[in-house]
Order: sequence, then C-alpha cells, then structure tokens
Amino acid sequence: MAAETVSRGLGLARPGWRASLAVVWTVFVTRLKIISRYKGVIVLESLLPVFFAGMPIFLGIAVAGSEEKAAENFCQNTNAACAGALDYRLYMLVGSATFMVVSLMLWLIGYWVRREQETGTLESIYLAPAKRLHVLSGVTSYTLVRSLSAFALALLIGSLLFGVNPLTGSLLPALGLLALGIPALWGISFVFGAFIMRIKEANAVIQMAQWVLAFLMGIYFPVTLFPTGLRWVAMAFPPTLLNDAVRSTLLNITSIYGPWYVVLALMFMAAWIVPLLGYEIFARTERRIQRAEGVGQY
Amino acid sequence: MAEPIIRVEGVSKTFVSKERKKGQRGKKQVQALKDVSVDIFDGEVFGLLGPNGAGKTTLIKCLTTLLVPTSGRAWVNGFDVLTQADHVRASIGCMLMGDRGLYWKLTGRENLDFFGALYHVPRDPRRKRIEDLIALLKLGDFVDRTVETYSSGQRMIVAFAKALINDAPILILDEPTVTMDVPTARDLRHIVKELNAQGKTILYTTHLMHEAEELCDRVAIIDHGQIIALGSSKDLKASIAHEDVVSLEGVFPDPTVERLRAIPGILNVAATAEGSGRMNLEVLCQNSRAMLPKIIESVAGNGATIEYIKPKEATLEDVFIAKTGRTLNVDTRVLGEREAGRRGR
Repeated sequence: MAAETVSRGLGLARPGWRASLAVVWTVFVTRLKIISRYKGVIVLESLLPVFFAGMPIFLGIAVAGSEEKAAENFCQNTNAACAGALDYRLYMLVGSATFMVVSLMLWLIGYWVRREQETGTLESIYLAPAKRLHVLSGVTSYTLVRSLSAFALALLIGSLLFGVNPLTGSLLPALGLLALGIPALWGISFVFGAFIMRIKEANAVIQMAQWVLAFLMGIYFPVTLFPTGLRWVAMAFPPTLLNDAVRSTLLNITSIYGPWYVVLALMFMAAWIVPLLGYEIFARTERRIQRAEGVGQY
Repeated sequence: MAEPIIRVEGVSKTFVSKERKKGQRGKKQVQALKDVSVDIFDGEVFGLLGPNGAGKTTLIKCLTTLLVPTSGRAWVNGFDVLTQADHVRASIGCMLMGDRGLYWKLTGRENLDFFGALYHVPRDPRRKRIEDLIALLKLGDFVDRTVETYSSGQRMIVAFAKALINDAPILILDEPTVTMDVPTARDLRHIVKELNAQGKTILYTTHLMHEAEELCDRVAIIDHGQIIALGSSKDLKASIAHEDVVSLEGVFPDPTVERLRAIPGILNVAATAEGSGRMNLEVLCQNSRAMLPKIIESVAGNGATIEYIKPKEATLEDVFIAKTGRTLNVDTRVLGEREAGRRGR
C-alpha cells in the first residue's frame, strides 16, 4: 500500500530480534530493581507459607490430641501414602509454599496492570513500539524469579522451623514439575490481567479470588475429599495439578491424577494450551479497550 | 512545497459511557471527534488549541494508536495507524500525560534507559542519547535520584526527556509546560524551537495563547470534536481583523452578557468568572471606538460596576471567541452536560 505521507525514518529505533530481547531483559531487570527498593518484601513474603502451614498443623493437634494422631488420621482419611508427623508437616509446608508460588504468579500480573494503569506508566508502555508479548514476557520472568526465590526461601525457613527434610523425596523432579507448571500459571495470569485492565480494580477481586484459589487447589488436603462435581472442577484447575504434582513427587506419594506419566502428560498439555488461550484473551481485551476508552482510562 | 507527514482523513471517535442517575443505569454516546480531516506538514510546529474536552487528546490518542477511531483513517510518517501501529509508535516521541508515566521508584536516568529500550534504541546509542539529554535539559543535579523525590517541574522535564529518547522525526507534546515554572517553561519552548530547526515535526497542544503564537507555524482550533479554524496565527487573527475586542473587568449581574449580545454591531461576548463575584467580559464587535459608548451604557444601565475597560489587539483566543462565543477556559464536557441538563428541563 502506498504511503499517504512522507516518511522520515524511525530516529534511533532499530527494531529486530535484538531489540525485542532487550525489551524482555530491561522489563525484567527494572521490575527487580523496583521491588528491591521496597526493603524486606521478599523475606517477609517467604515467611507467609510458614504461618499458612502452621495453622493446619496446630488445628490437627487440637482436633486429634497429638501431632502423631493427627498425622495418622490425616494419612488414613486422605489415602495419602504418608507416614508420621514429619510427612504431615511437610505435606502442609509444601502445599503452602506451592500456593504462594501460584498466588504470586497470578496476582503480581493483576497488581502490575492495575498499578501501571493508575500511575500512567501503562499508557507510556502502550505508546512505545515494543510488542506487548515482549513486555509481558519480561514481567512474567520477573514474577517467576520472585516467586521461585520465595518458594525456596519458604521451604528452607519452614524446614528449619518444622524440623523436616524436603530433600528426602525427589527434589529435582519436583522442581522440574514446578517449572513445567509455570506456563499454565502465566496463561491464567494473562486472563486475570485482562480482567483487571477491563474492570480497573484489583484489590477486591484478588482478595476474593485468593481464598477460592486456596480452597480449589487443596493446599491442606487432597481434592479427592470434595464432592464429585466440585472435585472435577478443582482437578481441571491447573494450579491444583501443579500443587499435587510437586507435593506427590516431594513426598513420594501417589498423585490423585494417577501414575507419573499421566501427570506429566497433563502438565505438558496445560503448559501449551493455557498460555496460548490466556494471551489470546489478553490481546482481545486489549483491542476491545482500544476501541472503547483506551488503556489510559483509570 | 512541504509534504504532509501526518494525514488525518475523516476521523470520528464515539465513546459509550455508562451513566448512573438516581439508581437508573443507562448508556450515553459521546462523539469526541466528528469527521476530522487535517494535514500536518513535514518540519512544521502545528498547534492544536481548544478547551478541555474539545477533542484534542482524543485526536492525539488516535494518532498515537492508543485509541482506534470509530471511522476514518490516519497516516503518520508514511504508516497507517490501524495496520502499522508499531511503526507509527516508533516514529513518534510523545509527552501526553504531563508528569505521569514515570516510575517513581526508579531514577530519572533509569526511566530514560527503560523507555529507550522499549523504543528499540540499542544500548550504546541509548546511553549516549541519555547523556546528551541530561546536558541539553540540565538534568544533571537530579537525574540520579529516584523520581519520587522530584518536584513536579523536575518530573515534567524528565517526562519531556523521555519523549526525546528515541530521537523520532515527530514529537507530540500535550500541554508540556503546564506545571513548569516560568524560566523552565521558557527554556523548554526554546528547545522545542531548536528541535524544530533540526527538522522535527512538532504537534503541540496548549491552552496558553502566547505559547501557540510564539511556537506554532500553523494552528488548528478544535471545539466539540471539530476543527473550526485552521491556519497560521497571523492569518487567523487577520480573519477577525475587521473586528475589535473590548475587555471589561468588574462585577456584572446575570443578564449583562445577553443585553450586550442584543446590541447591533456586537458580534459575540465571552464571560469568565474571576472569583469574588468579579468577571472578565471579552466583547467582540465591529469598530470598538463607535461601540464603546453603547457598551458602557448597556452595562452600567444594568447596575454593573465597571472596574477596568480597554480595547485590545486580537489574539488566538479572540479567534476562538469569534467562532464559538466562549473562552478557552470553559470545559466543553461541563458545558455539554449543562446544555444537556437545560434541554432535559
């Protein structure tokens, strides 16, 4: 198509794959710089899973009379092939730490969209030629590093406090499964970010969704305890799959989804389908907003 | 002859907003742009003037791809805003939201580096460009402090530097001097002139008439989503040269404006409240010397107190008054709501 106006070049801009990589890297580093200027955030959020794990442990003691009895009842009633108080503690700790990873991955994108909308930086980003996919890749890489650091730190602090050894199971395969579960979380976080961009509110939605997420992904119990309908809904939810895969591998117990190859196949499937679907929903929402009031409207 | 570098052809934009009145929900359509067509020439400083809500920012947002027009087409630097949005964005340096749009937890330098990367400027030229901008805009004293510690003027100048980071051929500046002190604003206008002398095309929106008159080669006056006047400041003022403006300050009772408008030979009257019941009236008329006694008689007879009266030379604001009967200080959206309210009653 013939240009309708004269063209005077693109100034200093040099689009290409190097420039795209630079966008991803710069966004990633910038997010890390910003969070590092809020002192102590990562250490404090690493303590959260310890408190989360402490609650069911003490509740178990209160109900059963002792931790050994609580563990025995828990293992028997949930068919989790665990044994003794240490496994019980580790079950809760791993569930809580995985919940925190999922939670950070999902909500950080939502908070990022909202905060950028409020400060006007979202509009600045949309004024630049950088593709949204590259900006989002930078942000998601940051959420990945931040949540995995918090996961490792939480596991370390929790293991010391609860006197458990997370290395007894298969740590490396568990971490591999955690990494494999991340793309699906990105997909959900894109949908969530699109929703926040549309409704222009983050806090109320996150407060509510946080508890629904904790409930559905079974951080304290296997979701097989749910009634049939709810169980299927929970099991179709990628964070539940991730949580169960990591936990069953770390504790050497049977996954509620079946043998390891079924779990692996399901995780591969989720790692492909959910991010593609999530990005498509994000892009559609973005186009819809550009046709309506614009991304700067906050 | 200069060629256009920005072309707007029949662009319209309609917003649908939700309304809640007395528990009733409804939808309201607001036409922010109505069939706007304009060419902006390569190498010129083009001013876009109009009151708040007139459609200036909507037009700029359509040109910068932040908004998709409801109808019509536009090209920037040879690229279609709908189908080549990335190239359009790469062609423009933009300062749209005043001092918003900066990361407060980053330093000025880190902000410039971040946005330079987003504009696909490679690392080495980016670093050199940042140093050049620090020197040009005298940012050295504060550029390595986090933005949260800046004054609003300092934030504005860093936001301006951000618009220059990619050294694009087109610069779009939306009210860039609005929170700057007088010397900084004067320096910025000087830099805008220099950038224009280097060959950049500049689209500049402002409320300040002296800025537009000082900087702009051509000016478009926009009101209610339509361009109502277009030309050089000189031509626009010449178009009302056969008309004089008389400025009155004082306390004027309500019907004064209507009484003045009823006098034959008076073309338009615009009123601006100055506080404490005082007002400023701008009376556009033919032959102020002959009309002055009638104006004084009409106003004084109405029980008004005239504190100051003077005939003045036509300005761009007078062009706007001549076309619309309002001053540029009026918020068109508020006016529209008032008019709709009156119609509703």
